[in-house]
This record gives sequence, C-alpha cells and structure tokens, in this order.
Amino acid sequence: MPDDALGRPYGVPVRREPVVPNGVLGMLMFVATEIMFFSGLISAFVIGKSNAIGGWPPPGQPRLPVEETALNTAALLASGVVLFLANRAFKNDAPNTKRLLAISIALGGFFVLFQGAEWVALIGEGLTLTSGQLGGFFYLLVGAHALHVVAGFIILLYTYRRLSHHELDRFTFWPAQIFWYFVVGVWPILYWQVYL
Amino acid sequence: MGRLLVACGVLAAAWVADSASACPSCASPLEENRQAFVDTTIFLTVVPLTLIGGLIWWIRRRVRAMEDSPEIAVPDSILGDAGPFSKGR
Repeated sequence: MPDDALGRPYGVPVRREPVVPNGVLGMLMFVATEIMFFSGLISAFVIGKSNAIGGWPPPGQPRLPVEETALNTAALLASGVVLFLANRAFKNDAPNTKRLLAISIALGGFFVLFQGAEWVALIGEGLTLTSGQLGGFFYLLVGAHALHVVAGFIILLYTYRRLSHHELDRFTFWPAQIFWYFVVGVWPILYWQVYL
Repeated sequence: MGRLLVACGVLAAAWVADSASACPSCASPLEENRQAFVDTTIFLTVVPLTLIGGLIWWIRRRVRAMEDSPEIAVPDSILGDAGPFSKGR
C-alpha cells in the first residue's frame, strides 16, 4: 500500500480532533474577560467600602439578608456539583444524565427566583440603586451576576433540549458547563464581599 | 571613567529621590483606603497574568498529551463527509 507524504498508509485518516475545541477555547476566552470584568467591579467595591465614612454597611441602610442568601449560595453551589455529576454520567452514557442536568437547572432556577424575591423585599425596605453607596454597589455587583445566572440558565435549558433530542455532543456541553462553573464560582466571592 | 560617572549619577539620584504617589487617591488619609488601593492593584495585576498563563499552560499540556497518544485510525466509510464531530461523544 503506498504511503502519503507523512509516511502513513493511504486510506487511514489522521485524527482531526483539535487540541482544544473551538467552542471550549472561545468560552474560556470569554470567561477570562468576564473574570476581569468582575475583578474590576469587586475592586471598585473594596475601595468604595474602605472609603466609607461611618463604617460599612453605612448607617441607616437596610441590612442584607445574610442567612437566607447563605441558603441560596448552597443551592447554586449544589447546582454546580450536580452539573459536574451530569457531565460524568454523560461521558459514561449513563441513563441518569438527563435527570442530573434537570436537577442542576432546577437549582439554578431556584437561585434566580430566590434572589428575585430578595430584591423585591430589599426594594420594599428602601434599598434602591440610588439610595446610597450600598444600594448602588449591591445592585451593580449582584445584578451583573444575576444577568449571568439567567444567561447560564438559558444555556443549560438549551443543552437539556438537545440532550432530550439526542443531539447533544461534548463540544456543545463543555462550553455550557464552563460558563455555569464560572457563574457558580464567582458567586461565593461576591457573597463574601457584599453580604459578609 | 564613564561607568564610574554613571554609577555616581545613579547613586546620587537614588539618594535624593523621594517616594511618589502615582495616583491622587493613594494619598488618602484613611489607612484602610490606602491599603485597599494596594490590595486591588496587586489583585488586578495578578489575575490577568494567572488567567493567560494558566490557559497557555493548559493548552501546552493538551498538545503534549495528544502528541504522546497514538493516532486513531477511523475508516473513511465510517467517517463520511461529516467528520468525527458529528458523531461526537
């Protein structure tokens, strides 16, 4: 059998798998810019907090619900862990992949709804975007994260739909996971900085 | 002789130089605020370097792993026109 220019026999194709799939590399680069975006916001918050006269949180402002949000934080972290398990099940072609992905999405949905309820309560107590430094930073930081959670939630719903139609491949699932892990991973830092 | 003059010049410059505040806020009277500026400067310097460095390290590791692994031979009859990604798992 004749060989090609690289010495391989004809008719045997070389592996065409890229070093890093395009979707994964693109998502990693996007998440890197998002990390810098949140780093900038957190840095601004740290400096604003250190500059506050009369201590932090500013006197006369509503207190943030620390305990309730701790529960919500646990739900989001659990969502990340369940997504990790869903990925493992997906790799092994396990039948419970769909169920695990659904649980992960449900926990993400719980986080969004819980935070929405928390915002309604805080606005009722007078904490708005323009009520002071605390309100401004709170809605900027937590609001930016909430937008990302909603985006991640939609992406996970899309992957679930594709999984239901047996159209999901790892090159679609990986980027979705990377984004969700970012959303899950950045939240404890925000919780620690903003709430505690 | 020229080197000696340069060395003397550098030493003289070091002797007379005083610390300079690079930003107006760094001269804040609040110690906590000054410290926050230092901390966030370090943070915002380290984070992008870590991100880019980590990505390069990870890609390099994957390249090496792929170079070490044997090639997978897939007959064209299975591969078809769509390529391996359409089969995908």
